[in-house]
Amino acid sequence: MSAREDGLIAADAVRATPDTRAVAAGKAMRWRSRQAVNFWLKWVMVVLAYVFLHAPLIVVIGASFNGGGEYAAIEFPPASPSIEWYFEIPMQQFEALGLSFALASLASLSAVIIGVPAALGLVRSNLPGKTLIGVVFRSPLQIPAVVSGIAFLQMYYLVGDATGFFAQGSFIGLAIGHIFIAIPYVVGTVVAVLQRFDHRLEEAALSLGASPWRTFRRVTLPVIMPGVYAGALYAFMVSFGDVPLSIFLTAPGYVTYPVELFSALENDFDPSILASGTLVILFCLVVMIVVQRVVGLDALLKIGGTGKGR
Amino acid sequence: MVRHGIARTLTVLSALTASIALSPMAMADGKFDGVTLRIATWGGSNKAAIEQSIVPKFEALGGKIEFVTGSPQANFAKLIAARGRAPFDVMEILDAQLPDFAQTDYLAKIDLSKVPNTKYLESWSYNEMGMASWLTQETICYNTEKYAELGLPAPTTYRDLVTPELKGRISIPDITSGGGLANFAAISIAAGGDLKNVKPGIDLIQDMNVLKFWSRGGETVTQFQTGDIYAAVVHAGWCVRAKNAGSPVQTVHPVIKDDIVGVQKYGRLGIMKSSKNYDAALWYVNEFVGIDNQFTLATQTGVFPTNKEVVAKLGSDPVLKQMLELDPAKLGKQLRIDYSQVNISDWVDQWTRAIVTN
Repeated sequence: MSAREDGLIAADAVRATPDTRAVAAGKAMRWRSRQAVNFWLKWVMVVLAYVFLHAPLIVVIGASFNGGGEYAAIEFPPASPSIEWYFEIPMQQFEALGLSFALASLASLSAVIIGVPAALGLVRSNLPGKTLIGVVFRSPLQIPAVVSGIAFLQMYYLVGDATGFFAQGSFIGLAIGHIFIAIPYVVGTVVAVLQRFDHRLEEAALSLGASPWRTFRRVTLPVIMPGVYAGALYAFMVSFGDVPLSIFLTAPGYVTYPVELFSALENDFDPSILASGTLVILFCLVVMIVVQRVVGLDALLKIGGTGKGR
Repeated sequence: MVRHGIARTLTVLSALTASIALSPMAMADGKFDGVTLRIATWGGSNKAAIEQSIVPKFEALGGKIEFVTGSPQANFAKLIAARGRAPFDVMEILDAQLPDFAQTDYLAKIDLSKVPNTKYLESWSYNEMGMASWLTQETICYNTEKYAELGLPAPTTYRDLVTPELKGRISIPDITSGGGLANFAAISIAAGGDLKNVKPGIDLIQDMNVLKFWSRGGETVTQFQTGDIYAAVVHAGWCVRAKNAGSPVQTVHPVIKDDIVGVQKYGRLGIMKSSKNYDAALWYVNEFVGIDNQFTLATQTGVFPTNKEVVAKLGSDPVLKQMLELDPAKLGKQLRIDYSQVNISDWVDQWTRAIVTN
């Protein structure tokens, strides 16, 4: 019921006889009870959504505290509570975690450096074949990552044959693949912001004597920053969690965290994986809280927001 | 006094020198100095077992072992992408992949005279193109307590899983999983089909009322633990693991046909033609099928050894003795699939149409 309808009911109540007043009061009560039902329905939906999204994490965290020795299975709630698996996490998993963080940071930074100018060009230029270029930038989303992985591996061998530099099995080789899958996320979010950009802001800056570079730095960039941050965050997450592409590009010494876990789980179940997974979840949570308190993540990610944070 | 001091110092020094000289490092003949051998194999406990039993020996000879972890399917894809120039020297190959390898020229011939440990292997299990490195005994693993509660006799073959009491309480491997093809073949043959006609197997699986088509055997250990399933088609190693985790389970080697009882799948080690470390690769293959590694692998990962001496050793473990088939005569009669007779794509198509989409 709209505010206008609400007002009409109230006006009716003022004009009406005792009978019609009772009817109006009944209507108002029904409206209020409908509002209450809507309110609780929304809450239930939100709680259910949160439970659905977080239940797997809760199970992983809970089961990581299940002891049971060498032959433990996943048990939630834990049957024999223990923290033994936190002391059994293999060093390779920590090394892989370090590599994954470095790789995802590089991939998201590079995706921003490539993706922001690309988005500006796609929205503002009059390049012939702009649509086709846009499709090329989005193509990593449409190609299955497994196919990309095989294609990259083949390409590295071809380039290696021609130049003598073989990128497969190196950090550079991995990074190129991850940047490839990360770029569409930055391009997508920045294009979305730019399409709603108010050009009068730039025109005002230019007409007041600011140089094009200063206008970009002081006017355009702050406005598109929420899109850049959102894209960079998605790029980081996609790179950090990737298995299908990385599995073809990893080599001894350059194994990413998800590939390390996937390889371990393919042949066996090792409960220490739950423990290391829990540590990563907690670490991400702490990072998010710190970012939220220091920078103001919700303001940054709000497309069209000020981008200044708190 | 001074003389005693000097004598004592000399004694200590000579003892130190002797201990250094006799240490494994110093005893190494440096046969593989500077050699880095890359092995394509699974991660997890499989890699850990190899790190325990083979890596120290290789390092004592001056070399270094690195692992390219991944499934044989993923590593084969890498091999194809690299057109045979593998980023590894030795690779684990599944029996189902042998026809694919037969069509390529990626494997080097193994000089069997340099693999003395073949004396411990069955003659079928090795040739110049590969060496059987492990087996699995594919079984029906069932919860003895639940079966007793339901008044069901122990199963003897796959058809025994078709009963109303087990509705929604069975787990069998998905065709794309490690044990998928071998068990699908076995179920088909047991149901009256053969490698060319798997329709009876599909019909039998559809009659089973399966709760879950597992993609990793470890899932069944958890499902037995939580009581979600009462029976699973799974290799004996997983059943042993479920038992050790506290589930009251027992294996049955299913009757397949006539005197064929039980199913095996196996893996092989192949040396890559592109390897620049052929001698080190041969050394690795020999060590892999040796007693030390085969015993470590069997006891830590649940696979069955190809080394006959180790098979005999496993009998001393009461759980393994109860769960595994250790009789050489019976082992020889278990079903092994000849994948050169199989059209795997056709099997997967039929499976997808009949099982996945229904």
